[in-house]
Amino acid sequence: MGTMKPLLMEGVHFAFGNASVLEGVSLEMDAGAGVALLGANGAGKTTLTRLAMALLHPDQGRVITAGEPTAGRSPEDLASAVGYLFQHPEAQLFARTVRAEVGFGPERLGWATDRIGEAVDGVLLELGLSTLADHHPYDLPQPTRRLVAFAAALVARPQLLVLDEPTAGLDRAARARVADVVLARRASGTAVLAVTHDLGFAAAVLDRAIVLAGRCIAQQLPLTELLGDHPDFPAPPLLELARRLGLEGVRPAAAVLAPLLTSHPKTGTLEA
Amino acid sequence: MSALLFKGAGFTYPGAPSPALRDCVLHADAGSITWLTGALGAGTSTALLLAAGLAPRHTGGERTGTVLTLGVDPALPSSGAALGGRVALVLPSPATQLSGIAETVFQEVAFAPANLGWPRARITARVSDALTALAISHLANREPGTLSGGEMQRAVIASMLVLEPDLWLLDEPTSALDTAGRALVHALLRREAVRGAAVVVASEDTDGLHQVADRLVVFADGCPVLDGPPQEVLRGERVWEAGAASTAIAGLARAAGNAAPRPLTVDEGVARWAR
Repeated sequence: MGTMKPLLMEGVHFAFGNASVLEGVSLEMDAGAGVALLGANGAGKTTLTRLAMALLHPDQGRVITAGEPTAGRSPEDLASAVGYLFQHPEAQLFARTVRAEVGFGPERLGWATDRIGEAVDGVLLELGLSTLADHHPYDLPQPTRRLVAFAAALVARPQLLVLDEPTAGLDRAARARVADVVLARRASGTAVLAVTHDLGFAAAVLDRAIVLAGRCIAQQLPLTELLGDHPDFPAPPLLELARRLGLEGVRPAAAVLAPLLTSHPKTGTLEA
Repeated sequence: MSALLFKGAGFTYPGAPSPALRDCVLHADAGSITWLTGALGAGTSTALLLAAGLAPRHTGGERTGTVLTLGVDPALPSSGAALGGRVALVLPSPATQLSGIAETVFQEVAFAPANLGWPRARITARVSDALTALAISHLANREPGTLSGGEMQRAVIASMLVLEPDLWLLDEPTSALDTAGRALVHALLRREAVRGAAVVVASEDTDGLHQVADRLVVFADGCPVLDGPPQEVLRGERVWEAGAASTAIAGLARAAGNAAPRPLTVDEGVARWAR
């Protein structure tokens, strides 16, 4: 288990009918890795994440998720190893309560009732959803439903988390929670692959960028090297600010940057 | 006359213990971009559904007070004739807005004009313009269901743009868009306002919209609590008290203990903090 790669792709080709989407994609992710999967609309980002969790299968090449090739397997077979958050996760919610929804995966995995209860309560607390445990998912505002789907992806403590636009539509408090949870899970060894256009979120919680363009991986590099160096991927405000203040290498998150600024003498009124 | 006017408007979803919108006073004017924001459940999405008439028509539930959309109560059965083709509603999950019967993106965008009985030449010209405006001309012959999330979001906006609506109601319209797509939609909203449309957009994309919108209305607990130019509202403390967010730089200033008024942009942050 210790040396197993959460995700490995080797020479993956994939087409929808005649429309080729990916041609020769190879990548690997280590435990605890945080990868931002970037690219223009239609570049194949969502397709790649679906290959990772056996929702799709490559026409050529191999996808090895949590140590096992996905060939011949379905998403259910990967349920204990991969947590997946869809771009529009309302489609993946179906239970009558938030608690049942989040507990569904562990139940299918055959966990004991006590263990399910503990895991569900834990993840609901982590995401600030405890008071909503008995609500019907469909009575919740759409962004809250996204958080419920995120809780369901997290609950079995998978080795690999695949997140498709995890912060889209979330408010400030929810975005901060998602960011904290991603950092905490990475610290405990979960690899995170996130498709996101929220470059501020990416810079704060992830560290590697994989850029899809022209049906293959056009660039693979540290995220901070990419951001600001490419017109499609401008540096998010906190990263740009950190650079201009000479704070290179500091993680561009408010909680990290703020203590470095409070000690600064010039915190008076804004200069015109 | 305001393009959108709420007077003491309230709304409760079926079975909900408390109203999603309460005693809401709100207006949005032609030629202007009005931006709604707030914490989860603050009521911005509900306000858009109410303005479009989808609440309570499709959601069920109970509305109170007055809602006038282009001068018409959108809950009235007769409002369809007055508002058809004049109000564009863009929902946060674009897949829910595809017609499901168009075989190509071109047909999808042409769907509403065809239903409205436009002449063929006008449909063709307007659809081409709309596809160009959203930079999706190359997708004209693709089947809508095979589009990526961001491409679908562009196609849905194109299918509204083609009608030259008098009122835009957009809920997180750029959530699936890349950097170029966001800039393109923001520029499009400005052009629409200049053309004379009223644009109402509910969004959490503070860093994207604070230099685009003319007016910011912050919701909390089901009603507007702050209303003013984004550049003023976002510098203050009350936007945070309402549970909404200012820009990343203002958030950093707040985390660093800087009092309001706070910087909003990187340039302003550098001016404040550079040695």
